Amino acid sequence: MPDFNVRSDSVNVEQIMEQIRGRIREKRGVDYTEQQIRELAAVKLEKFLDPRGVRSDLLDQFRKAQPAYEPPELPNFAFEDATLFESHRAPIRWIRKLLMPLLKLLFNPNPLIQALNIQSRLNTINAERDARREAARRQMDQLYYELVHNLVVETTRTGIEVKNLKMRVESIASRLEFNERRARALEGAVVYRSTEPDEPRPQRPAPQIPQPRQQPPPRPQQQQPRYTPPQPSYTAPVPVAPPTQTAIAPPAAVTEPPPQAQGAGVPGEGPGQRSRRRRRRRGRRGGGAAATIMGAPGSAQPGSTGAAGTVESVDQMDAIDRIDDDGSPDSEEMHDAAAEQVEQTGIAEADHAASTAEPPAVDQAPVEHAHVEQPRVELVAPLPAAPSATESSSVAPAEPAAAPPPARDPADHDPQ
Amino acid sequence: MKIAVVVQRYGQAINGGAELHARYIAEHLARHGQVEVLTTCSTDYVTWRNELEPGVEQVNGVPVRRFKVKHERDPLVFGKRSDRVFEQLHSLGDELDWLDAEGPTSPALIDYITKHASDYDYCLFFSYRYYHAYYGARASRGRAILVPTAERDETIGLSIFQPLFRGVRAIMYNSPEERAMIHAVAGNESVPGVVVGIGSDVPNNPQAARFRQKYNIRGPFAVYVGRIDQNKGCKELFEFFDGYLKDPAGKLSLVLIGNTLLPIPEHKRIRHLGFLDDTDKFEAMAAADALIMPSYYESLSMVALEAWALGRPVLANGKCDVLKGQCLRSNAGLFYETLGEFIGTLEAIEQNRWLAGSLGRNGRQYFKDNYDWPVIERKYLDMFERLKNEVPGPGGDPLPGWFDRRRQDLPAAQDVLAKLPKGPAGRHG
Repeated sequence: MPDFNVRSDSVNVEQIMEQIRGRIREKRGVDYTEQQIRELAAVKLEKFLDPRGVRSDLLDQFRKAQPAYEPPELPNFAFEDATLFESHRAPIRWIRKLLMPLLKLLFNPNPLIQALNIQSRLNTINAERDARREAARRQMDQLYYELVHNLVVETTRTGIEVKNLKMRVESIASRLEFNERRARALEGAVVYRSTEPDEPRPQRPAPQIPQPRQQPPPRPQQQQPRYTPPQPSYTAPVPVAPPTQTAIAPPAAVTEPPPQAQGAGVPGEGPGQRSRRRRRRRGRRGGGAAATIMGAPGSAQPGSTGAAGTVESVDQMDAIDRIDDDGSPDSEEMHDAAAEQVEQTGIAEADHAASTAEPPAVDQAPVEHAHVEQPRVELVAPLPAAPSATESSSVAPAEPAAAPPPARDPADHDPQ
Repeated sequence: MKIAVVVQRYGQAINGGAELHARYIAEHLARHGQVEVLTTCSTDYVTWRNELEPGVEQVNGVPVRRFKVKHERDPLVFGKRSDRVFEQLHSLGDELDWLDAEGPTSPALIDYITKHASDYDYCLFFSYRYYHAYYGARASRGRAILVPTAERDETIGLSIFQPLFRGVRAIMYNSPEERAMIHAVAGNESVPGVVVGIGSDVPNNPQAARFRQKYNIRGPFAVYVGRIDQNKGCKELFEFFDGYLKDPAGKLSLVLIGNTLLPIPEHKRIRHLGFLDDTDKFEAMAAADALIMPSYYESLSMVALEAWALGRPVLANGKCDVLKGQCLRSNAGLFYETLGEFIGTLEAIEQNRWLAGSLGRNGRQYFKDNYDWPVIERKYLDMFERLKNEVPGPGGDPLPGWFDRRRQDLPAAQDVLAKLPKGPAGRHG
């Protein structure tokens, strides 16, 4: 919580605490105490249990409603062998005892006595078993009720946590989205700044209309922020100018987009995205081209087979760019995949050509080609021999002083 | 002007809040008059065992007269009587028995006050909850000024103290919250009172780097100073700081200073340095990013004031009305009640340098305006001057008779406490 809106010398602790609490609510959701969670759980229980008329303090109510279990006094009898002949009157007991032989003469009472005795014992056993079962069932009921109660409490807690986590996920997602947008914007700015000086400038085709250097042409981009994407760069190839010519192409001619490219982008795509994508591709391609110009191993010389292959792949890339420009609904991924494939083909061909090409002299490496605004023109044009320093300066753009110094190529081992 | 400072313990090595408060006041008032300290021979607030010799000695140039304690505290008896008076319907006799069990019971001290009260212009009684304040204020016959150092605990709900609050000449409160609480419980608005508090001898130039070097402490840290005890909120502090440690954004360590009664959590970002002397303590505070005050019960946190005096922000427990009120009035500290607030406020202090700096500056100014020694001394002297021009009152209610002591009609102290108003006082006290 590093920042607050309070920005005066007089700190107001109440205000700060409110902000901190607000931030906590945003960040983690509301912090509930155990008591509050139980209250919420009780509300949920009421919601669940209201139809059955059970209150939310379920466990307490249940315990109150169910007193401690006492087994019922079931009717039973004791039946022993003398039970039939017992009496509280002594004379009757004496007469019965006296007549017992006579009774046993008439029928045998022993099976009856045994049966009733067994039945009595069975009754006792069953009653005890029922009592045990009932007690166990009641204990289990209490356990189940407690379990349900705790489950509801925990479910409530989990629900709150899930809600808080959802809020956090939303917060993180929005931050991620913001960061991605920011990264894209920064990436665009960095690409614009870094590729500009790094982009190799082979022999730039001379413009048709010579223009004195002292009268620089108007530069529309000059008024724009640095990270503003450059204008669409499709131009028709122009013939190569003589090396001694000091004029440059008018920017209007260079930056004029083809009519079909205007407003024909992929739906939902920003105005600068296509051009940025192309610039990235050219940045990748540009590495190969720079190496070629600087004479690094692996670069192809003009007229070699490798150069032809490179030009061919460049043509394919340009075809993809045209697809971009014509507003076809193909997805960006398809374009990028196709571009990668073409690029790899080009690199393979360039590598193959490098094995046969002689490395050029280091001092011939042109380093003053960072101001090229139209890489397509450069790439489409056949790669000429390295120009002299004068030539390089002669093809510099209108305002070379405004451009940053070119970044040093890592492949260049010349300490100067 | 001759003043008696009456307190339960006294000495240079005694660092309890009220005792230290009494010593500071005695030493500073000694510059304006003749001060004598009347106290017991005890140094341990749990047993009240007689450990020092009775008689007169000098402590930092202030004469201290010590009296023997009649009996030590029996924790079992005290616990039983506490349960009785705090939780059950009881009688005045039960409360007086509780007071006797609490200690330090020193009839010799009370006898001395009874005989020599007229030798002093005023008797300053520190801590209303002890034997010496209850009986001594009556014995001093209209010369008693009370410094209650009352906290929001059950003791304030006992009925025997209400006549004490009403019967003294004046009350020097520590905070507006304490004053509001005592007014609510005793209805003593007519008794002259002023919120004073306490100053502190904070060094002008504490060497924070020396402390870090001495104790090998690197990186930002928050400090806790005081007894590490559950009653001081340290258990909750450990739980909350554990939650803070799980937050990857937080980088503060926790440095604990003081004797511990709790196990310290083992973590590389929690350091316990034990009891430190004042120099190291102040240097630790100066080196810290913030002071954490987790206590629930405070009448005035001297440590928080010292941190403010050193320009450090304070993070206080918002459940303590006094601390919360101090933070609000000073605009120099944040407070927490839940784990989320603890983490949020600590991160705010840690990560927002502007906020921490502003809080620290406000704290320094708050201390200077309200708790600097000239301010404190002036408030005491003004009160003495005011009382000089007022006629003393009857001196409180008489002691309860035989029947009154046995009538079981007093509510449990915790019930009385629950009815007292809560919350911090207003911004301006």
